[in-house]
Amino acid sequence: MNFLQRIIIEPFESCYEKFLTFMPNLLTSLALLIIGIVLGGVLRIVFLKIFRAVKLDRAAKRVGLFEMLARGGIKDSFSAFVARLVGWFVVFTFAVVAVQTLKIPTVENLLDRFFLYLPNVFTAVVILLFGYLFGNFFGRAALIASVNAGLRQSGMVGRFVKITIFILSVTMAMEQLGIGRDTVLIAFAIIFGGIVLALAIAFGLGGKDVARNYLKRNISSDDKEDDGTRDDIDPL
Amino acid sequence: MNSVVEREDIQGRINEIGQADILVGVPSYNNARSIGHVVRAVQAGLAKYFPDRKTVLVNSDGGSKDGTMDVVHTTTIDDFHSILLSHRVESFSKIAIPYHGIPGKGSAFRTIFEIAQALNVKACAVVDSDLRSITPEWIELLITPVMRDGYDYVAPLYHRHKYDGTITNSIVYPLTRALYGKNVRQPIGGDFGFSGKLAGFYLTKDVWETDVARYGIDIWMTTTAIANDFRVCQAFLGAKIHDAKDPGADLSAMLYQVVGATFDLMEEYQSMWKRVSANEAVPVFGFTYEVGLEPVGVNIQRMIDKFTLGAQELAGVWRSILPAETLRFLKRLAHAAPEKFRMPDEIWVDTIYNFALAAHRNALNKEHLLKSLTPLYIGRTASFVIEAWDSSGPEVEEKIDTLCGVYEKFKPSFADRWT
Repeated sequence: MNFLQRIIIEPFESCYEKFLTFMPNLLTSLALLIIGIVLGGVLRIVFLKIFRAVKLDRAAKRVGLFEMLARGGIKDSFSAFVARLVGWFVVFTFAVVAVQTLKIPTVENLLDRFFLYLPNVFTAVVILLFGYLFGNFFGRAALIASVNAGLRQSGMVGRFVKITIFILSVTMAMEQLGIGRDTVLIAFAIIFGGIVLALAIAFGLGGKDVARNYLKRNISSDDKEDDGTRDDIDPL
Repeated sequence: MNSVVEREDIQGRINEIGQADILVGVPSYNNARSIGHVVRAVQAGLAKYFPDRKTVLVNSDGGSKDGTMDVVHTTTIDDFHSILLSHRVESFSKIAIPYHGIPGKGSAFRTIFEIAQALNVKACAVVDSDLRSITPEWIELLITPVMRDGYDYVAPLYHRHKYDGTITNSIVYPLTRALYGKNVRQPIGGDFGFSGKLAGFYLTKDVWETDVARYGIDIWMTTTAIANDFRVCQAFLGAKIHDAKDPGADLSAMLYQVVGATFDLMEEYQSMWKRVSANEAVPVFGFTYEVGLEPVGVNIQRMIDKFTLGAQELAGVWRSILPAETLRFLKRLAHAAPEKFRMPDEIWVDTIYNFALAAHRNALNKEHLLKSLTPLYIGRTASFVIEAWDSSGPEVEEKIDTLCGVYEKFKPSFADRWT
């Protein structure tokens, strides 16, 4: 009897007591999760209406965010996408609180570490977003300016500016996340240093004449004007 | 920015003069070589045609380094007998000051308007400081319609080389005519006459931090006068010949400022231009005559190359502005042989209206949008030069008139899309 009491009944009672203690936490947790899902859905609709009222889609199209989403395979409008993000953020926040309500030490520890890292992720995402936007903006500005200056390699100039800015933002984002901090910075410096050095050698030392001919032929189309047929048209 | 008349030195000068009847403004920037002739012509014009009026010449300078303002101070007419019919009775004063604000022609004009208001003048005129063809008669022609006939705004009318004034002829003139219904042939001519009342009205507008402060000032002055029902006329001034433009001047910046100001005005006066369905002639003062014009050098191949480069590289930008059909045509044109290079009026007008709509809808950053128009404008200019190669001046005018007709024809559908 004592044996049965110790081996089966006492552990069962203990487990039952723990379950009784855990049950309110579980119910609270489930309740929080349900509230989160409902609130997330409601806020998604509310924010969607607000974003549409302030014509966020038009602004997003203008700065290139719409294009960015389309390239990433997202078919939603920008308003719908951001509203969905807001909704999921609310659900996620409630889910985290719900998990914490369970009071499981291992999960709590993991969550603490996750929350300490979360600001870095957020900052990195913002850096990448701005990197993409600035890259597009300045890339397009460089492209238009180069075309108007008559540079035949305008497309290359535009892409170079755009990619450089984006790579710079990726480097900054990775540094923020603490991924290969030094390696990324050094790689970035080596790549760009290498490009500059290669250009210097190619145009300055390796092929002075070739570079001169190349520049004459390809870079400056304006040189061809000085053949006595300069434009004198007054545009105004 | 505070008004220039609040400056102590200017205030002193204004108090000294008190009140004036006529003011002539000359904006300048490094024009020491040509401004002497302009000042002499203005002084002679005022002395000859308005001897009994108190007159002032204001040079509003953008910080010239070549002594432009010194030339203004020292220039005077030694022998009035050769040009005068009567002796001057009233005084003539000169003010030469550097303007403040954004560097540009518009800021220079603002200073002129402020001094005009402070002196309570009845009539004003502004003339460019690089003019070589200005005569004393220009002053009479720009001022008399205001002083005698009660007009508020006198736009210039010149004989120009058939290839000159390409922004005027292909965009600003036909667009202004189609939108506002007034046939002002040189809306951005640069030399204007206007009443003191209109100068005061200009100063009530808060535009001095925009493109109006730069090359946008001319179209802004003309459109503001038309759209606010001021009495507008034109004065035939003969030939317009001026110093060669600075070769470093950026065409795309000039185009951006002028077209940007034109599009901004379309926003401001949309209720007005949507109502206009016909255009009317604007009275012309002065005796019209034929003049000889200096030849203009043109490099068509370079223009076509620039258009082709634009069509190759900017198609992605234009895709968000132009209809697919127009874009396809432009791409085909980029591969056309130079002798077959033609951009029809319909394509060009459709392009301009679509750029206006894109600006209205904020489809793209405004500077990017308007600067991406440059290769298209150059392509259109090349096409026009080829088309008008063997045409006389009057024949070219007919072509421009036909273009105006296309702008007018397309206007209703454009107005419908402008929501």
